[in-house]
Amino acid sequence: MIRKLNIILMLTSSIAFVAVYGLKYSVENVARQKQTLERQIQKQKGQLSLLEADWSYLNQPGNIQPIIDRHLDQLNLQPIKQAQFGSLDDIPMRPIAPDTQGMTDLFKSLEAGVDPADKPMGGQ
Amino acid sequence: MAILTGGETPIALTGGRQLRGSLTRTRIRWVIAGLVAIFAVVGGRLVQLGMVTTDNTIEGRTREAISASRPAILDRNGLEMAVDIRVPSLYAEPRRIIDVDDAVEKLRTVLPDLDPKWLRDKLSGEKGFVWIKRDLTPEIEDRIYQLGIPGLDFLTESKRFYPGGPEASHVLGSVNVDNQGIGGIEQYIDKQDLDVLQSVGIANGQNLKPVQLTIDMRVQHAMREQLLDALDRYHAKADAAVMLDIKTGEVVALVSLPDFDPNDPSSMIAPYKGEPAMRFNRITAGKYELGSTFKTITIAGALDSGLVKMTDRFDARFGVRFGRFTITDFHGQNRILTVPEVYKYSSNVGAIHIMQQWGKDNYRAFMTKVGFDAPLPIELPEKTNSYIPKSFSDVTAATASFGHGISITPLHMAAAMAAFVNNGIYEPPTLYKRTPEEVAADGKRLISERTSLEIRQLMRLNALEGSGTVMERAAQGYRVGGKTGTAEKVEHGVYSRSKDFNVFASAFPLDNPQYAMVVIVDEPHRESVTTGDTAGWNAGQVTGRIVAAVAPMLGIAPKFDKSVDDQLVPMAIR
Repeated sequence: MIRKLNIILMLTSSIAFVAVYGLKYSVENVARQKQTLERQIQKQKGQLSLLEADWSYLNQPGNIQPIIDRHLDQLNLQPIKQAQFGSLDDIPMRPIAPDTQGMTDLFKSLEAGVDPADKPMGGQ
Repeated sequence: MAILTGGETPIALTGGRQLRGSLTRTRIRWVIAGLVAIFAVVGGRLVQLGMVTTDNTIEGRTREAISASRPAILDRNGLEMAVDIRVPSLYAEPRRIIDVDDAVEKLRTVLPDLDPKWLRDKLSGEKGFVWIKRDLTPEIEDRIYQLGIPGLDFLTESKRFYPGGPEASHVLGSVNVDNQGIGGIEQYIDKQDLDVLQSVGIANGQNLKPVQLTIDMRVQHAMREQLLDALDRYHAKADAAVMLDIKTGEVVALVSLPDFDPNDPSSMIAPYKGEPAMRFNRITAGKYELGSTFKTITIAGALDSGLVKMTDRFDARFGVRFGRFTITDFHGQNRILTVPEVYKYSSNVGAIHIMQQWGKDNYRAFMTKVGFDAPLPIELPEKTNSYIPKSFSDVTAATASFGHGISITPLHMAAAMAAFVNNGIYEPPTLYKRTPEEVAADGKRLISERTSLEIRQLMRLNALEGSGTVMERAAQGYRVGGKTGTAEKVEHGVYSRSKDFNVFASAFPLDNPQYAMVVIVDEPHRESVTTGDTAGWNAGQVTGRIVAAVAPMLGIAPKFDKSVDDQLVPMAIR
């Protein structure tokens, strides 16, 4: 009886020993993985913060202004002037009757091969 | 112990058994005592180890504090004004390093610029912590990590970065190497509760709510561009401007030139054109005699008291005599003027008469009411006290009525102007956004709605016919109105004839006021021979240019309808 019990205890303890040994190593493994992941997160956070800083730098009016000044020839972006503002009242109402004469002139000029839309605006 | 007797059976004597028993007991006692002693030693050692506090601080600061971050600072549209960058820094624990020479050799393959002798000194010894190199790139960090030298490790440090550079320097302030605010809103944030969070190590990136300011970076940039241009154009020593949202008291833009780059805190105290202490915030920390802009204050208070009416006439034919002094007008009209004319021609004599009819004590009390006595409750730590005599004598009251002999900050003036056009409700200026409830709770009535309307009429009148016409040419259509102020600077105790301090206090659009602005230009000169050097020509013109640049951003469209001005400035006061 006692011998049986001893054998059982011996077996359990040796199994427990092996299990603990294995567990220790797997925990070490997991800890190493965790450390790697943490390092990776830390690094990516760092990179993210750099990218965010870069993004906000690129978006600053103080950064955009010189770019616009530099490419003034190509972009021709300029501050809006008061005269460039219009209001709804400036747009004429639709004429009551269709402008038949105007339409005829347009078609005639199109047939002649001249498209008024090609002409620069403002009669220049 | 058995004693043999003659018989077969040994007789055990009770005495011997007792003796043996007591011997065993003694032995057990000894063993117990020994065990207790051993356990006591072990326990004592445990307690001793428990008492040991390992020094985790780095140059006196905890690791948490070093890697702690500061909240991002955003402008009113959510654009970042200040962000944290996380950078790895290399440190060593010399007592954990096994082979110093090997470590030095390996490290130098990645960081060849490190001096080997210096490095060897750093790495040897029993110290717990030494910095090797700070602010590394992630690539370098990776390569050092691959070397696998024991005793070397990295700490992620937070570095402050201001993407706008000097754009909003005086609003933001800066931080020192230890990431603590040393001016501007950064210092204010620290004073709130950030330093507590940092010291317990919970201030890291995720749990910090960004701080949103009321500054609009677009307006801020446009204003700064115009002021830089003005410095050059008028060969001025310095200039500054502030714009307030009159309905909430929120500061939309605040520029003071010369400024500094917050990314380089040492530039804060760098001399400007050989002069030290030039880069301070002139809007909140500079107090000046704001000259004739004070006539707006005088007239607003006088009209509001009911003792002076718009139609009252004042004799400006002769100067006002005080003993041996006589105060005369700069733009002398030498006739009898109405209140709008006093304002329009900026008549010192008229202003004195208005103030006298109102009463000098009433005038002094009104200054307190407008908040000129106390420093403003703005969040910036750079503040100064005003200089206004406790009580006015006849002469000081007379000079104060046109802004001489008393000094306030430009922000004081801006806040007062904002209140005058905001139907008379004063909102204390702030850099933090306010909810409508807070606005309603903080609002304080300064003058009646009627007086507010009259002041708006006067301000617009001055732009159309008075000293603001240069400004009006630059900002046509935006219904700007304002008052110039040209003060002679005090030099060696006397007013200098050649050095002026010019101001323009304005508000726009006056048919539905939204923003108030004060522009100051220190020691301006004529732009060309055809222009003047009074405030209208410099501070006024800059105001016009700033408004023309920022009004479209703020959603204000120009109106060229003449009826707007006809309604704004009734024929009766023209």
